[in-house]
Amino acid sequence: MSEWFNDTGMQNDIVISTRVRLARNLKGIPFPHKAGEENCRKVVALVEEALSALNYKFTKVDLSQLTQTQRQALVEERYISLNMAECKRPGAVFISEDKTVSIMVNEEDHLRMQSIFAGYESQKAYDIISKVDSYLAEKLEYAVHPKYGYLTSCLTNAGTGMRTSYMLHLPAIVNAGIAENLFAAAGKLGITVRGMYGEGTKAGGYLFQISNQITMGRSEEEIMTNLSKVAENIIAKERELRTKMHKQKGVVMEDQIMRSLGVLRSARLMQSKELLTLLSNIRLGISLGLITELDSKTLNSLMIETSPAHVTNENITTAMERDIERARIIREKLVKG
Amino acid sequence: MLCSHCNKREANFHYKQVNNGSYTELHLCSDCARELGYLGAGEQSFSPGLEDMLNEFLGLTKQSQTAGKGISCSCCGTTFAEFKKTGLAGCDKCYDVFARDVESVLSRIQPSTTHKGKIAGPKGEQIQRQNEIKELKDKLRMAVMEERYEDAAKLRDSIKKLEENNGGETNV
Ligand SMILES: [Zn+2]
Ligand SMILES: [Zn+2]
Repeated sequence: MSEWFNDTGMQNDIVISTRVRLARNLKGIPFPHKAGEENCRKVVALVEEALSALNYKFTKVDLSQLTQTQRQALVEERYISLNMAECKRPGAVFISEDKTVSIMVNEEDHLRMQSIFAGYESQKAYDIISKVDSYLAEKLEYAVHPKYGYLTSCLTNAGTGMRTSYMLHLPAIVNAGIAENLFAAAGKLGITVRGMYGEGTKAGGYLFQISNQITMGRSEEEIMTNLSKVAENIIAKERELRTKMHKQKGVVMEDQIMRSLGVLRSARLMQSKELLTLLSNIRLGISLGLITELDSKTLNSLMIETSPAHVTNENITTAMERDIERARIIREKLVKG
Repeated sequence: MLCSHCNKREANFHYKQVNNGSYTELHLCSDCARELGYLGAGEQSFSPGLEDMLNEFLGLTKQSQTAGKGISCSCCGTTFAEFKKTGLAGCDKCYDVFARDVESVLSRIQPSTTHKGKIAGPKGEQIQRQNEIKELKDKLRMAVMEERYEDAAKLRDSIKKLEENNGGETNV
């Protein structure tokens, strides 16, 4: 198996990816922000030892050995959080051999383990991360409270410590002007929706992250079912509105989509922001059957491989150089394909 | 607000519980709360007075708790002021040291302040079953209070069965 962004999953016309994250801490050791360097190093060592006996192999990435750009690249691939990239504490991330699971050590909690897949795959993602969690629970002593369950630095994660999220592509919902109401309604059901890039409904590329707010008092299964119900409603609405939008706008919409493909195939300079918009149009074109030579997998890898840190190296350091490189990668991928 | 049981006295205990995904709220006066068995069943994680115990057990949403002032956690050094300001616990012990505020914060952001679901590891299953029994007992109290005796009987049976499987552990 490969990275989530080089893969394709269920409902990929709307769902870009699924992630399940569990927060865990170790008993008797202050949480990372209070732990001090020595304790932080101790936690990294404990996790490393626990993982070493597992058949499922992990590679340790010592964040202190990475440049800022290398850290940023891991953020773009979503293996670590921005917080982790900027964190000064001794910490590490362990990434599984199949690139499905990553375990951040000493982010906000001692362990933040996540499993990420392309498409709509919460069951698969949960099963894997839960297995890793059960295994680690035998080797490490977790901080568990008889009433509150798993204890976390921030009270908003305590209980199951679980946050499940889908990255959704919702251009039709935004264009219909119903995003705000829809997201507010989701909020009332304990579901948070926020922009992946930028805030509110002006989120770049019409990409949104939808996740559970509730972490305590309900089982993992109940939380995921509730989230899936809301997600599926949003997905159904988006599909319905896409068809409607296509019917209403007809050739004007088709023109916009096909022009976007033309721009991507011939541009010599490409900024990230413009790319997000163009990719959104292409995704729409694929889901409406207007573009058949591309698939969601190609777009996902394009999205990640052209993000800022990925197009930066010792020869490419300025914004202009990045825009040139970005346009080159896109042409190579789209014209050849 | 009047007590929903006697409809006479002012309700000063507000009990919140989740049933099939929807909230049920009960507002009771202290006499009725005592009568219906809500008293004395509190958590034993710390030793507060009677009312504190009720607050803890009933998940009361008191907005301002000042009693914690000056306290700090001996394990990680987090002070009450720090905890209030950041909303972050410094270690697992903080959850007991700042128990009252923890409970009050959690009851505001979560549908219930008792964990339900997975607990991995050696002690996991036992804790999980104890929490299950506890949840059923809460439901039983509700059923009795609302005079749904058929439901109550069913709940009593389930509790009995779980307790037997749990090696007679009943102190939940
Ligand atoms: Zn009363
Ligand atoms: Zn502490």
